[in-house]
Amino acid sequence: MFAALREKLFGSKNGLSENGQGRSRALARSRLQFVLVQDRTGLTPEEMTQFKKEMVSVIERYFRIDEKGFDISYKREGDTSTLLINSPVIVRRKEDKSESSHSEKGDKKESKNSAEQAA
Amino acid sequence: MSSKNGASNKKSEGEVIVITSGKGGVGKTTTTASLGAALALRGKRVLVVDGDIGLRNLDVILGLENRIVFNLVDVAKGVCKANQAIIKSKKSNNLFLLPASQTDDKDVVNEEEIRNVLEQFKREYHFILVDSPAGIEQGFRNACAAADRALIVTTPEIPAVRDADRVIGLLSARGVEAQLIVNRIDYNLVKKGDMLSVKDVQEILGIELVGVIEKDENVIIAANCGEPVVYNQKSRAGNAFSDIAARLCGESLPINSDVEESFWDRLTRRLGVG
Repeated sequence: MFAALREKLFGSKNGLSENGQGRSRALARSRLQFVLVQDRTGLTPEEMTQFKKEMVSVIERYFRIDEKGFDISYKREGDTSTLLINSPVIVRRKEDKSESSHSEKGDKKESKNSAEQAA
Repeated sequence: MSSKNGASNKKSEGEVIVITSGKGGVGKTTTTASLGAALALRGKRVLVVDGDIGLRNLDVILGLENRIVFNLVDVAKGVCKANQAIIKSKKSNNLFLLPASQTDDKDVVNEEEIRNVLEQFKREYHFILVDSPAGIEQGFRNACAAADRALIVTTPEIPAVRDADRVIGLLSARGVEAQLIVNRIDYNLVKKGDMLSVKDVQEILGIELVGVIEKDENVIIAANCGEPVVYNQKSRAGNAFSDIAARLCGESLPINSDVEESFWDRLTRRLGVG
């Protein structure tokens, strides 16, 4: 319903104009986060891609994950830096205490790892 | 040195604050001049120091460009006494400028020389604001040499925030606490989804926010006139700088950062458009 409303109002399916108007804030945020992960970790884009791949494969050994939502960020708060690996997990049948839902969407599992900031 | 007419609530030790950003052109010099003037208006004795050796501009923003005789490098090298180089503001008896040299190179002075110069002022001024040059090289290190804390100026744009992040990392390695000023925010653009919000910037950088300056043409007009924008009480930017000055003095004023998210903003965000 919202999608239809949106389509009517913006005149395009995804609600975006051709030149990025109206969504450049979100784009700026994600591009910024991308460069900052590189700047803060000191990893090259290739190393980052490799790291992501390896992380995904490790997690996949234990969980079914939705790779599309897989995301790595690097946060700094005060003196500590945190590597945030956000991996949407598709809930496994045998996990009986998944109180949220049985849907295929799954919960988001966040694994936090404190990591020293690259000096 | 001569000065003894300190304000009544003078602390024993002044505070050295470096204003820095990494990227150039985001408003460091304007911020230094405006905060200096705003603090002086509050009765604080303030020295603003132009740390941008070779590319001085703080003198121009303060309208003092025709009074310079000696400069920071002269003081650091012992060519003159500090009080020979320091210039009193035309607008305030509490605001003073130590200009940079326009002819020297950034690395004619080192961190220790700058520290020695600035430390001696701590007894005479409540605040010593150091306008850092852009970049992260010697000029930046010199400007930070004596800093008790840092104000990071950034604008809501990727390059500015990225460079600010780098500088925050460098300062943190030196043990200097940094606070954030987001400059030239345009709330209309934020609302339209075409500018990073204050919250975006603050969350990404992960340091405490100390003030937000809206984009305001009065800043340009003030610079043209050589009078810090805080003297214009109708200017939103001027008032925002005054608020930051109050916070630097320990007042806890609320920061009116991003306007409340409207129903429409929330809706579009939930739909994944915003």
